[in-house]
Amino acid sequence: MPTAVLLDSSLSMTRPVSVEGSEEFQRKNLAVHGLTMLFEHMATNYRLEFTSLVSFSSLWEVLVPFTRDYNTLQEALNNLEDYDKTCLEAALQGVSNIVQQEWGTSCPCQVVLVTDGALGIGRGSLRHSLQTVKQRVEDKKFPLPFPFPSKLYVMCIANAEELQATDSMDNLEQLINLNGGEGQIYTMEGPLCLKSVQSMFGKLIDQAYSPFHAVLRCGNLTSDVQVFPRPEPVTIDEEVDPMPRTVQTEGDEIGTGATDDTEEETSTNQMAGKSPNFCVLLHGSLKVEGMVALVQLGPDWFGMLYSQADSKKKSNLMMSLFEPGSEPLPWLGRISQLGPASDAAENPYGEDDSKSPFPIQPKHKRSYAQNVTVWIKASGLQTDVQKILRNARKLPEKTQTFYKELNRLRKAALAFGFWELLKSMAELLERECTLLSDSAHPDAAFQLSHAAQQLKLASSGDSKYAAYEHNITPMLTDFSGGGGAHRI
Amino acid sequence: MFSVSHKTAFVVDHCPYMAESCRQLIECDMLTKSRSQGVIPLAPVSKSLWTCAIECSMEYCRILFDVYPTWKLVNYIVSDSEVHILNSWKQEDQNTHELMAALAAVGPPNPRQDPECCSVLHGLVAAVESLCKITEYQHESRTTLMDTADRVANRGRIICLTNAKSDTHVRMLEDCVLETIQEQNKRAAGSDRLMPIQQCELVLVHIYPQGEETLVSDRQKKELSSMLSSEVHSVRAGRYLASKLNVLVQQHFDLASTTITNIPMKEEQHANTSANYDVELLHHRDAHMEFIKSGDLHMAGSTSRDSGLKETVTLKWCTPRTNSVELHYCTGAYRISPVDVNSRPSSCLTNFLLNGRSVLLEQPRKSGSKVISHMLSSHGGEIFLHVLNSTRSTLEDPPSISEGCGGRVTDYRITDFGEFMRENRLTPFPDSMIDAAGRTPVERAKSQLERYTRYWPMIISQTTIFNMQAVVPLANLIVKDTLTDEDVLTCQKTVYNLVDMERKSDPLPISTVGSRGKGPKRDEQYRIMWNELETLVKAHVGTSERHQRVLECISACRSKPPEEEERKKRGRKREDKEDKTEKNGKDTEEKGWTTDSERLKGVMEREKDEQSECEIIKDSPDSPEPLNKKPRLATEEQQPPEKSKGLALPSASEGVVERNHHI
Repeated sequence: MPTAVLLDSSLSMTRPVSVEGSEEFQRKNLAVHGLTMLFEHMATNYRLEFTSLVSFSSLWEVLVPFTRDYNTLQEALNNLEDYDKTCLEAALQGVSNIVQQEWGTSCPCQVVLVTDGALGIGRGSLRHSLQTVKQRVEDKKFPLPFPFPSKLYVMCIANAEELQATDSMDNLEQLINLNGGEGQIYTMEGPLCLKSVQSMFGKLIDQAYSPFHAVLRCGNLTSDVQVFPRPEPVTIDEEVDPMPRTVQTEGDEIGTGATDDTEEETSTNQMAGKSPNFCVLLHGSLKVEGMVALVQLGPDWFGMLYSQADSKKKSNLMMSLFEPGSEPLPWLGRISQLGPASDAAENPYGEDDSKSPFPIQPKHKRSYAQNVTVWIKASGLQTDVQKILRNARKLPEKTQTFYKELNRLRKAALAFGFWELLKSMAELLERECTLLSDSAHPDAAFQLSHAAQQLKLASSGDSKYAAYEHNITPMLTDFSGGGGAHRI
Repeated sequence: MFSVSHKTAFVVDHCPYMAESCRQLIECDMLTKSRSQGVIPLAPVSKSLWTCAIECSMEYCRILFDVYPTWKLVNYIVSDSEVHILNSWKQEDQNTHELMAALAAVGPPNPRQDPECCSVLHGLVAAVESLCKITEYQHESRTTLMDTADRVANRGRIICLTNAKSDTHVRMLEDCVLETIQEQNKRAAGSDRLMPIQQCELVLVHIYPQGEETLVSDRQKKELSSMLSSEVHSVRAGRYLASKLNVLVQQHFDLASTTITNIPMKEEQHANTSANYDVELLHHRDAHMEFIKSGDLHMAGSTSRDSGLKETVTLKWCTPRTNSVELHYCTGAYRISPVDVNSRPSSCLTNFLLNGRSVLLEQPRKSGSKVISHMLSSHGGEIFLHVLNSTRSTLEDPPSISEGCGGRVTDYRITDFGEFMRENRLTPFPDSMIDAAGRTPVERAKSQLERYTRYWPMIISQTTIFNMQAVVPLANLIVKDTLTDEDVLTCQKTVYNLVDMERKSDPLPISTVGSRGKGPKRDEQYRIMWNELETLVKAHVGTSERHQRVLECISACRSKPPEEEERKKRGRKREDKEDKTEKNGKDTEEKGWTTDSERLKGVMEREKDEQSECEIIKDSPDSPEPLNKKPRLATEEQQPPEKSKGLALPSASEGVVERNHHI
């Protein structure tokens, strides 16, 4: 997940730190030291993650846009300039904007705010921002909570006592609360020195930047893997009561299926080496066969592995995480019910690989796949009536369609308790009968009056004729041998 | 874990006054000009309040079942002088077809029935009783959660479609529901199949005919007690009722509306012209999350033409490309239901999608730039609205797998593993399919993977037997859970065949990678082969007595260890090694073999290995990480103790057929 570093470049950051005996540091130097440590850690363990550096005072400025190039970030740290006072709100708004522009609002992002805890005075100060937070109009809302899933880490180049002496600590805590409690405040312990800033950033690294190592296992074939971005624990809102879930570090590959849909993406990547690695073998075969492998990440949590190629002919093994649950993709059914195809009586993939047991069809068709009858709009009803009349005029050729449409209307009218419609339809058919031309087939008249009579009987509500499952069948006439009168 | 929307009880008033006309006339006699002469048009028809209530509630259910085929349950109750319960909470009862059949059996209200003994109250009482009944899902959660069974909540909603007399009448209905809940909760506390109601939402919809003044006033949701809230909607019958229930189903189930615009359709009359149509779809509102959060919703949103009440997001149809190989990161897929399901544009769109086509949807943006934000596509007869990532992806420019661990090994058994994957493909089994050992299908799949991989060398130069066609019958059978006598016979034949080959001194595909000259002598080759074959079969010897017989056959037939004298000639060092291997038995057998084979190539290879070790591994330009950085060490432990195998040449994935299997 990307990181946006928001570095305080106000004048107060140049305050010297009193260190006995050794060379003199400014708070800014300590901040740079801590960030250097973070960037070094990321360059080695997190090199596929993107990081951006923003500095702020009363204005804010993107020093380095999101990049994987940690040298550039480091260089920018070495060339910082000092500016005026601290205006945090504008800077947070800036961060919010650049993250949204780059990654949208669904990509989680970590924001690391590095400040000395002197949060400005008067207008533009954090205190002022927080006091007016409830009196904002729609387009001048406080930037927190961020619209994207986020963690806000506040790295204070100050110790807790110092911050508690003023209202800084309270204000920072309020800031975290405004972000829905997502985040943490880190302060320095003991004297302000290189050692204590290291220990503070060390804690941040342990908390938020620990690499995700896992074992990918397929029976007895295994491979150590590192996953980018780190899969974060998911709290699923199972309707009302949330239950947190975490990814287990043992990835169990449980077999392969042929499907093709992706959700949250994560790329799996390993470090260098020349001994055979199962990941490479798996990737190669998945790519050649055009298959995906199902992977289990925890109890009732699954994902899939597949070869992902970019435009430059490079390809890698990708893992997509499904929503936690026993049936993440409806067209695969319950994962626990997926077993070896060799156990099936007949090969579900066909002897020549021409078939597939997927997708699983739902038990009941959806409304749009089953020709349902809806008469909420008058036009729906009129269309259905006209359809019957059109076919009525083409009897006996259209006998089958005529009765099919007639029965559809009859069923719906019975279910809706719309008996009046049955009577009207009967009258319309009787009228059609009188309008038949002399050249009309004699069967047409028989079928029309038969159908009309049946509708009238149904409209009486008599259970003998108004049964829902009952169908009006074509009348068997002397002409039916040559005509289209078949039982439907 | 169960919200109010888990259970919805519909209570529809079936009393005589519901037989009254809604007074909206529908002309169903549409005479064409040529035929109209001399024909008196039929009087228009009008629906009863009952018919209006039924079709609108069915529409509510239709949308609900389309979007949530499971977990969201409906219990349909009709009330007159008695209660007609048309279905149960069972999943199999949750479809409109069953409900329509049951409604047909009830028929329209009888206007001549004595109004004194009819009331919607019977239905409301039945609805409360029904909400106390445990659903399959609640039951399953209670049994699986055992110790935290109290987390399983019982909440529900009652939607009552009636014609009330007055506000006082409404109060009376609400009081009745509240009292019944209190009564039923007492009863439920002492039962296994019942659960007390923790929260109930009562939605009273008062339906009155067109042109009449309403006797009941609208009222917003109000808490009547900690368990019961109630709201009153006073609605004219007909299309007003339809749009009210459409709004309610969206509110109750977190739905949102998307209108697909600019759908090109052939005109019915003129096949060579086409016009553009709009189709409105409902789906879970999370499909709009990106718009909601980014504030683009107001921009993209326009008002639905029909109801004037709800917002819809307009997305533009993009004519599908036939060879779309573009990759789109999909972050979610949501079921849809068309608002106007049987209109021609709707059914054209849905049929197009059900036939396997996909449609990309474009989001109109402030800047006027073109952004593909969604995709419509069907899976297994269900249509899903897919949300596509329209911003930069954090996954861009991933390193090639050949840059990683094992990426420089070139002789992976890619084809063999492909075959392995095909043999281990999954297929769905019916819910009851649990084998004798009580294993679920997926557990059986995992145990099959375990068996199939007990001995599976990853690279070609590491194996002899898997490069030999003659071994295939045995290799395929030995991994199986059970063998028949016939299978054993096949395995034995394989062994005899190998013996025959050895007698004829046929050459073996022993890897000579890295070795100069001809490689090992013929008898040495066969020794390697037999050792490997034994390793494979020994890995499965514990499976059954028949597996054991295969091993016995190999031990009996394989070429005998070389004569004592010959061994002495080969020198002490090798002898020691072999002795060790034999003593350590089964577990180290595999390693023993590897060492054996390695040793043969070892001398020749060492030179080349040393050369290739000096090569620098290129990293991606983004991370010019020095070679001596720490993380490399992390993988070192897992490397086998012996020196590496084979030469690292081009990347493993090169020369492989490109085949995309993306959306």
